[in-house]
Amino acid sequence: MRSTRNVVHPEEDPKIGYFSDPPLLVLASLANGPKHGHAMIEDIARLCGTRLGPGTLYGAIARLEQQGWIEPLPAEDRRQPYRITGEGLRVLRAKLTTLQQFTKAGLRRLESL
Amino acid sequence: MNPRLAHLLTCLYPRPWRERYGEEFEAFLQSGPGDLQAMANVVWSALHARLIPTRGNPMNQSPNSFRAILKHPSAFLPLAMSLAALGVLACAAIYGFLQGAGGIIRQPDEGTAAHLWQILMAGQLTVLLYFAVKWLPRAPKQTLYVLALQAGAALASMAPVYFLNL
Repeated sequence: MRSTRNVVHPEEDPKIGYFSDPPLLVLASLANGPKHGHAMIEDIARLCGTRLGPGTLYGAIARLEQQGWIEPLPAEDRRQPYRITGEGLRVLRAKLTTLQQFTKAGLRRLESL
Repeated sequence: MNPRLAHLLTCLYPRPWRERYGEEFEAFLQSGPGDLQAMANVVWSALHARLIPTRGNPMNQSPNSFRAILKHPSAFLPLAMSLAALGVLACAAIYGFLQGAGGIIRQPDEGTAAHLWQILMAGQLTVLLYFAVKWLPRAPKQTLYVLALQAGAALASMAPVYFLNL
């Protein structure tokens, strides 16, 4: 029997947990356009079910900005939008490719069980 | 979240972090839910920021800070144009001294230097207007400082023309 058929989604079993790499999630959220904090939280929740807390989100934003992977845009009202930089896109692509290779390899191993 | 509580929670972060993100983080907290989970998350993140400061370059300036605004072309172009106009006057004066005229040589049709000065001074007005319209609503205080700097540079460029009756 292929063990990947018995996939359990985090929504069904919270013990499994959600994917949590806040900087990567923020980068992925900004990949389809600039967003401010609340829009990022909602987008990430839709993307993978993880709802980042305000401190976690701004911790990730600070790290990403220091690394030059995202940059702030002029503030709109009291909201501060951010956008991904060219370097950020390159890093996101590389990380997701590695993750994809890792996932494929992991699933192949499970299938061979 | 309660504005006072949002301010208190923001104060838990280290100073360099607050100087860069404090204002926007406080606004972000105020517009979100003030539940216990969010508060615990902020307290934990603030502690983390104190124990393990964000690595990399020093904290970037806020996009609405005086220095950050000054880096925009519409802010520094009028300054550069005023200084260039002053430079034109200086060059004309040096040329006059070298020619033995003891200063700027007056020409019947005002001359190239005068036309350059006029173009530079008049040309910056549209840039200045664009800058004021764009930035005054976003960051009034910082924009006024930049406008004062631009006005100072323009006056410095106009002063020799006025006092020397050029």
